[in-house]
Amino acid sequence: MSSPARLKVLIVDDEPPARERLRSLLAEIPGVEVAGEAVNGQEALAHIHELNPDVLLLDVRMPGMSGLEVARHLNVLEEPPAVIFTTAYDEYAVEAFAAQAAGYLLKPVRREQLAAALAHAGRLTRAQLQKLAAAAGATARRSHIAARRREGLRLIPIEEVQYFLADQKYTTVGHVNGEDLIEDSLRLLESEFGAAFVRIHRNALIAVKHLERIERNAAGQYFVRLRGCTEPLQVSRRMAGELKERFRI
Amino acid sequence: MSRDGGDSRAFYLPDFCTPRTTLAIVLIVELTAFVLSLARQTASDFWGDLVRTSMFLLWIGLSGAALLCALRARLARLTEAAGSAAVLALIAALVAGISLCAWALGRSHLVIDAGGAPLFPREWRSFTLRNVWISLVVTGLALRYFYVAHEWRQNVELRAAARVHALQARIRPHFLFNSMNTIAALTRSNPPRAEAAVQDLADLFRATLSEKRNTITLAEELEVARTYQRMEQLRLGDRLQVEWKTDALPANALVPGLMIQPLLENAIYHGIEPRAAGGTVTISGEVSGGQVTIVVRNPIEANPSLATRDGNRLALANIRERLSLMYGERALIKSGRFDDEFIVTLRFPLIEKPAAQNA
Repeated sequence: MSSPARLKVLIVDDEPPARERLRSLLAEIPGVEVAGEAVNGQEALAHIHELNPDVLLLDVRMPGMSGLEVARHLNVLEEPPAVIFTTAYDEYAVEAFAAQAAGYLLKPVRREQLAAALAHAGRLTRAQLQKLAAAAGATARRSHIAARRREGLRLIPIEEVQYFLADQKYTTVGHVNGEDLIEDSLRLLESEFGAAFVRIHRNALIAVKHLERIERNAAGQYFVRLRGCTEPLQVSRRMAGELKERFRI
Repeated sequence: MSRDGGDSRAFYLPDFCTPRTTLAIVLIVELTAFVLSLARQTASDFWGDLVRTSMFLLWIGLSGAALLCALRARLARLTEAAGSAAVLALIAALVAGISLCAWALGRSHLVIDAGGAPLFPREWRSFTLRNVWISLVVTGLALRYFYVAHEWRQNVELRAAARVHALQARIRPHFLFNSMNTIAALTRSNPPRAEAAVQDLADLFRATLSEKRNTITLAEELEVARTYQRMEQLRLGDRLQVEWKTDALPANALVPGLMIQPLLENAIYHGIEPRAAGGTVTISGEVSGGQVTIVVRNPIEANPSLATRDGNRLALANIRERLSLMYGERALIKSGRFDDEFIVTLRFPLIEKPAAQNA
């Protein structure tokens, strides 16, 4: 109340009545303003960049990108907003929310609880988010990879990713529309997307669905060619055996 | 005249006025006669002895059945113990009376003149007393048998009813809380619509919680499904389109309650909600060859990584079980994905509700 700055809130929910209700509740809470609304995860991430909200009221169940996945992408941001999940009913997730001490509200949301949650909203750690996702029965895999760019957050659908190349500090994501830098480690990416990707080198993961062919040069060195990529990627001696095994060469 | 199915506290004795029970009585009587004749060990004339004993016992058995048939309503008002004691006393008195009659008949001129006197008892006291004792033992055994049979039947009926009820009383909590949230929003912005939504929700719960009506008409079931659609429409808006092609269905066909609504619920939950753009659920129905066919189709998420919802086997298994409880082998439900659609087909015999019947 003493601070002159008003708390900017972004409402994210796919159901019009749910957004409407949150908006009218927020209007009754002093020191709070609605920065905007988003009807799905992708839109939410776009709005976060434009509107720079302080708090996200995030529905857990949404078509396409779920609220949990939206929250995981927030970790990429330099100053991510605080997150308060809203959920009508998620049998097991509710316990997890309580256990992870994340802000969560059960719909229909009560005004006092909304006010209290806004007062205490905080950021979520990656570990908390992973536990939440597991408890909610959502697949632990993300459907997109988020890359931070100057013009905002770029979401790359995981099906469009051709390879991940690890550098000293960053990881390069090669995808059908170019390359981007992300901070995720190869080890984590491999454990998350293990089935769809295969390790060809200490520093490289390739998408199996984009694999075109495996080549061998005169020196006995193996390379893979990916569809839509001009440059072949080198296969390490250690991984060559496994690769041949997997594709029965 | 039908069986006492409904009242769970019904007296355990069967209705002795039915042919079935009469046949059971005759069987019990014949077995008893056989045992008695064997036990008597009159090697000279076993068959004659059996016939005589049977005649005598049938006399007792059938008049006993008639007596119980007439007095059943009164006996049913007593407690189980008192009722059983009363039946034992009644049968013992009946046996004593009939034994005395038989003894008296043996002394009548009619029998003596015909030379049949040796067939009848000579001494009334021990004859009557023995018969009463035997009747008490046999009636006791019969009562025990009826009691156990009644318990067993009641158990089976209760279990079937409980199963049907458990299968029916199932509403997705997800739907309930989302509806509550929608109503909470409408209460502020659009009170008349909120009121209509509360009424719809009440109707849906009535349909789900109703214990009495295991079967309803197709028109009623379609109305429940439409009510459900209205609730979901509030929440999903334009994302949900439902196409009804059900005009060909007979309104008065009897169906187990909550057959179509859960299929619509499934179609919306798995087919529409996970899609940002929404889609169309089609419900079509037709009758041919005495079979009602209902088909529910919904689009499926093309990208499997986004289709995170659990399978819908539970709801389908539930409907399958209720269909088979009602129609046995004559109903079927099948489902599967065809191209980019999920299709559920429901087929069951057409049974029309009699016009006069009041449910």
